[in-house]
Amino acid sequence: MAKHNAAHAHDVVHADHERPNVKLYLGIFAALMVLTGLTVFVSKFHLPRPQAIALGLLIACTKASLVGAVFMHLWGEKKMIHRFLYTAGFFGILMLIPITDFVLTDHQHIDHANVAAEHPDEGHEVESAGPSTINLEAKPAEAPKAEAAKPAKKAKAKAKGK
Amino acid sequence: MTTIAIENPDTHSGISNAKLGVWLFLASEVMLFATLFTTYIVLRMGSATWPWGWDALNVPLGTLNTVILISSSVTIVMAYARAHAKDLGGFRLWMMTTILLSFAFLVVKGFEYYGEFSKGIWPSTSVFYATYFTMTGLHGIHILCGIVVNVGLLIMSFNKESWEHPLFLGRVEGAGLYWHFVDVVWIFLFPALYLL
Repeated sequence: MAKHNAAHAHDVVHADHERPNVKLYLGIFAALMVLTGLTVFVSKFHLPRPQAIALGLLIACTKASLVGAVFMHLWGEKKMIHRFLYTAGFFGILMLIPITDFVLTDHQHIDHANVAAEHPDEGHEVESAGPSTINLEAKPAEAPKAEAAKPAKKAKAKAKGK
Repeated sequence: MTTIAIENPDTHSGISNAKLGVWLFLASEVMLFATLFTTYIVLRMGSATWPWGWDALNVPLGTLNTVILISSSVTIVMAYARAHAKDLGGFRLWMMTTILLSFAFLVVKGFEYYGEFSKGIWPSTSVFYATYFTMTGLHGIHILCGIVVNVGLLIMSFNKESWEHPLFLGRVEGAGLYWHFVDVVWIFLFPALYLL
């Protein structure tokens, strides 16, 4: 009975594992080698960076997909595993958000000396702080007057006292 | 006792706990390396200059390491195939080859680091080298962890009870999944640092 249980348990566990396909593994190995050679070969041509990065990324993604699909048995894997990876991928993509800052503003070509000239509206805001400046200055301007008036009043009071 | 635990399904999903655990772990690893790659992109786009990998690093050694790591991915999947077929000798042979290839990767990486250090190149030399040493260093630590797991499985295979244990195949599969992930990380690291 115990032997039967052990054999059955072995079958249950075995059913959870993919049946290996050695011929396919060797075919994928050959494809990965060719793609590696292609990546190195293409990089020697010093293509313009955007094209070089796009091509390099494309080849790397193809290689990673082959390893994932065949060696990691993701092809035909249960949906739950796929959902894990989609979730991780989603959060991975979220991390790319800071990069949009670089896409929207070309940091390498900003001449800080000319920022004010390039953004006259922002410069105008600083200059047009007039009314608030006046208001702010008005208070201290009044304050000295009031303080200056105090000694005059004291002098008058002293004169009256005399 | 163990048999009862195995006979009852591990999870309602039909996936064994071990496999589920490995995949969850790998999902967290995806996040870790996604953070590093995002940092790499931000640093690269923010730098006024960024050297070509061909000028700054040893591309032939990097290519050799890529070939070694891809080969080790194949050998570990062959070890899994042999374990699936209950071929003990074949499993040991392929697992031993995988471990040797892993050490070969680290030795080549060591030569590469030595060449850089002897030229006075350190992580503090530039943003590029700081990124390079951080990313390849962390990847190297992952290789070391993989070696520990694979050596453990090889040692276990010398114990008849461990080898015949119904969960042994799952352990080999888990180790293989981790090793393939390490390979996938290198597949992206190699062009990002050495070629582009």
